[in-house]
Amino acid sequence: MSDPGPNSPSWPPTAAAPPTPPPAVQPVGRGPLEPWPDTVHWQPISHDLIWVELIRLAVVLAIGLAGTAIGWALSGHWLFGLALAVVLVLGGWRATAIVRAVQAWGYAERQDDLLVRHGLLVRRLSIVPYSRMQFVDVSAGPLERAFDLATVQLHTAAAASDARVPGLRPAEASRLRDRLTALGEDRAEGL
Amino acid sequence: MSDGPAEPETRQSPPDTSAHQPPPYAPPYEGAVPYGAPPGMPYPWPAPPVGGDGEPRQRLHPLSPLLHGAKSLVVVIAGLSWSTLSRVGFGWFAAMVAVLALGATVLSVISWYNTGYHVVGRELRVHEGLLWRRTRAIPLERLQAVEVVRPLLAQLTGLAELRLEVVGGGKTEAPLAYLGVADAARLRERLLALAGRTPQQPTPDPTTAAPGTTPPTAAVGRPLHAVRNKSLLISQLLTPQAFLLPFGLAFVVVQFLTAGSWSFVAVASTLTAMAGVLLQPVRRVLDDWNFRLARDSGTLRVHNGLLETRAQTVPLDRVQTVRATWPLLWRVNGWLRLRLEVAGYSAAEADDRNRPDRLLPVGDLPTATMIVAEVLPGVRLDALALSAPPPRTRWLHPLGRRALGAGLHERVFATRSGLLTRQVAIVPYARIQSVRVVQGPAQRRLRLATVHADTAGGSGAAAQDRDVAEAWALAAELTARAHAARQNT
Repeated sequence: MSDPGPNSPSWPPTAAAPPTPPPAVQPVGRGPLEPWPDTVHWQPISHDLIWVELIRLAVVLAIGLAGTAIGWALSGHWLFGLALAVVLVLGGWRATAIVRAVQAWGYAERQDDLLVRHGLLVRRLSIVPYSRMQFVDVSAGPLERAFDLATVQLHTAAAASDARVPGLRPAEASRLRDRLTALGEDRAEGL
Repeated sequence: MSDGPAEPETRQSPPDTSAHQPPPYAPPYEGAVPYGAPPGMPYPWPAPPVGGDGEPRQRLHPLSPLLHGAKSLVVVIAGLSWSTLSRVGFGWFAAMVAVLALGATVLSVISWYNTGYHVVGRELRVHEGLLWRRTRAIPLERLQAVEVVRPLLAQLTGLAELRLEVVGGGKTEAPLAYLGVADAARLRERLLALAGRTPQQPTPDPTTAAPGTTPPTAAVGRPLHAVRNKSLLISQLLTPQAFLLPFGLAFVVVQFLTAGSWSFVAVASTLTAMAGVLLQPVRRVLDDWNFRLARDSGTLRVHNGLLETRAQTVPLDRVQTVRATWPLLWRVNGWLRLRLEVAGYSAAEADDRNRPDRLLPVGDLPTATMIVAEVLPGVRLDALALSAPPPRTRWLHPLGRRALGAGLHERVFATRSGLLTRQVAIVPYARIQSVRVVQGPAQRRLRLATVHADTAGGSGAAAQDRDVAEAWALAAELTARAHAARQNT
């Protein structure tokens, strides 16, 4: 369906549904995560999230390194040394991935829906209409609070909907929450 | 609960009381006088079974404690087990069973006495419990489907259990067990009428005001289809489990013959394993026996079951997804299976058997086409225009590329997948909750992406491996069409 037009029986929306012409479908070569550049203004999330994620990674790494180092020291087997090196390499790779992943994370508020994109290896874009909103979660763990960050998550009736925006400043988080709830109430549809 | 003795009379007469009340209840959600209790009444607990001016609270059928007791008999016997029987002898065993069952029955009588339900405005309220009281208010706007289930014992006694599916309920809400069959049918009609999408005035409309006038059993609707039991049997014999059973048996027999040892444990465990494997097809046959489908104005009615009959009613505007499956072995006969996804059946009932989601347990394409056209008007299952993904998808699906497909239709989004077990998922635009575009590393290299249309209470539909440009267009178009469809409904 590379050219969806003529194939489907009713491609031009029928007269019954004219109010929303499809947005300008202009996929550009700027990268797969930037569709509809003229209608979407992507907002980045705070780069402090990098530190949060790096600290989390460091904790896990420290445990792994300590385990293998103790094993090496006790047994002296070269396999433990190899494991140590693997853990270090993986940690370094993950650290760079975190930096890029946080930079890739973004959200955009359009007129009728919220767009969230994230992921590096597996790239995801979620389009969640405000009217389908069931509730909004704002959460902040201890580490996030230490960096003055919060996470906003939009829930719909579908479990698969994936609209989570981490790394927001509390003010921005509560603004987003209020805007989402206000828009959701305006257009409530539920199911 | 002091006026318990008066209860049986009021239980029999709900239609009359609600029929001659001038304004039966105040507008819902006012909440000023809960349960129609007199203003002096403390809220909410000592609410009398019969309210002053509200609708009387109704009891379940008086026979239901007996049924619960009979059910517990089985549990008691299983719990006492054979070893107890051999240790204490038959007489003592019978006495113990009798005492325990009697105790269970007494408990169910108490719980029956304290259980009541009534409709207040657009809510069904169920009151339960003696020590730990519980009231559940079930808003009927959220009602997704109603089921009348009749286990074997209930069939013998003319009773039925009413189950409501509500969005957000972790499991089936408020099983009212048990009601008389006529009562259950009447209550179902009434709940469905109240749950109707058109906002109803709190002043009663004819169906709610005088439920007694509508014949409770006549509303069967227009029959659509009945599955022949022979087809059902054959179809279940064509499942892998049943199909491979002879081979498994032969293997076991050969092994025993060559080994020459017939130890009891080996035989018993083999038989148990086989019974376990066979359980699913057998259950399917029992569940889907005598499967009938009917349509009644805005609702779909499904009847099925041999030992336990179910009558399920689904309002058509609650249908989230229709899924057609062509299992490999059924293709010989050109058979397929249709499933219906409704938001109420949550992940808590992920067990295949407990999800009463069958729309057609087995049937041929013309039948399925007819049923799909009834459920989703304007959709032709046999002529769904689905386009395949671009040829470079063969690197990801060397064999199954032709099985993939997706298409936008006037009111639905349809996708196809699966090489061996072919599946078609049809999602009405109006039911789409969110749209997702996902691109894995291999897909990125090939400039492909997968578009998901998520629905409530199911996995929705996924158009796999579309060209990236097309995937964006598809996502934009799905979003726009879902928006337009919501505006129109």
